[in-house]
Amino acid sequence: MAERVPATVTTACAAMLRRDLLLAWRQRGDLAMPVLYAVIVTVLFPFALGPDLALLQRIAGGVVLVTVLLAMLLALDAMFASDIEDGSLEQLLLAPQPPALLLGMKILAHWLTTALPLIVIAPVLAGMLHLPTAAMPALVLALLFATPLLSLLGAVLVALTAGTRRSGMLLALMLLPLCVPVVIFAAGAVAAAQQGLPWLAPIAWLAAAFILTVVLAPLACAAALRIALDS
Amino acid sequence: MSTWIPLWMHKLASPPTFYRVAGAIRPWALALALLLGAIGLYGGLVLAPPDYQQGDAYRIIFIHVPSAWMSMFIYAVMGVAGFVALIWRLKLAEVVAMQSAPIGAAFTAITLASGSLWGKPMWGTWWTWDARLTSELVLLFLYLGVIGLYHAFEDRRQGARAASFLAIIGVINVPIVHFSVVWWNTLHQGSTVNVFGHSKMAWDMLWPLLVVTLATKFYYAASLCARARTDLLDLEGGKDWVRKIADAEARP
Repeated sequence: MAERVPATVTTACAAMLRRDLLLAWRQRGDLAMPVLYAVIVTVLFPFALGPDLALLQRIAGGVVLVTVLLAMLLALDAMFASDIEDGSLEQLLLAPQPPALLLGMKILAHWLTTALPLIVIAPVLAGMLHLPTAAMPALVLALLFATPLLSLLGAVLVALTAGTRRSGMLLALMLLPLCVPVVIFAAGAVAAAQQGLPWLAPIAWLAAAFILTVVLAPLACAAALRIALDS
Repeated sequence: MSTWIPLWMHKLASPPTFYRVAGAIRPWALALALLLGAIGLYGGLVLAPPDYQQGDAYRIIFIHVPSAWMSMFIYAVMGVAGFVALIWRLKLAEVVAMQSAPIGAAFTAITLASGSLWGKPMWGTWWTWDARLTSELVLLFLYLGVIGLYHAFEDRRQGARAASFLAIIGVINVPIVHFSVVWWNTLHQGSTVNVFGHSKMAWDMLWPLLVVTLATKFYYAASLCARARTDLLDLEGGKDWVRKIADAEARP
């Protein structure tokens, strides 16, 4: 019997990324759901608060941030769901390649398929609430760093709940304390840009947090999955 | 096995021994908690003079401040116990971490409730989005998340390990949340009591506060002992030592 040489880490990671993206592409309809949800939530705000231009302008940044966060939270539950059902997540943990890297690829694929469309639509949503054009770059940059942070933190929590009955509320309860700093800094950047103040400092904080999380979260995710699937 | 840890500590980690020791500690801790609580509250509510600005309303600190300290102290205990549970897989550490969570959540809720009762006459509002209040609220959510995750698992020990992991993530998160919310200019006063220096508080008011703080510590110890004992009986249901206890209690 020929000895099987394990695939190199790069090949395995590329295969994992390709597989997840392909799976997402085969279910294109689901990709539109978070975007649709974000649009609907944003549209509800002017109805609830009245079409007062000054008020909408003041809350636009925060509303878009929270809407994107909620849309991501909805999609988070599905991150590992199908892989747990068919057992491929256990295979991933048994693979010779470090599971943290492979899980990182899964998180990247999830971010590309759920958060990226939301970032693309975010300026449109902000425009619907009359956010000044000057604040748009701050909003998009803040989202570019905030959404991967949420994906990474969320992945750890989803991994922790992997062995439980499905419960989206529990995930929201667990994610809320973790996303408080993210929301504060992202909203701080948008608010500063809206007032014409320098807004790079909060973005730099977000970027620093992102770098820290991108290193630690996949490791934590692997450890969490080991706990949750160990039975 | 490390040699620097005395043997009795290893023994204490075994459920039957802990069950016995906790049973012996519990009445003493509870009695001390009640005694000190009575002395401290009498000192605080009756003996201590009214504040020159706030009158009698300040007296809520004898509940509020010890509860706030306990809410953080218990989270730290939970984090350390969770750490031990994950690394050494001690069943007792899991029990301590998971049984601490509801007590800590209760203290956090008391802190928030008593603070808002005080805030209405003093600040003119029940709630404000101040840094400390928000951090404390986030702490409550962390506790609730840990409790919720623990109960979401079918297997108790697995749930305890997953929730311990969440508690450790929370320990890292607490300072981050604290400093991020400090960005908002805050209404809550800074700390008055200083462990390593001169406290900015009259002794008449300080001693009841410290006594009540001690009382809450003993109450936590007593409550934890009781909760851990029942939880151990539940977890070890089929074991021999539990059967012996059950037999001894069934015998008239």
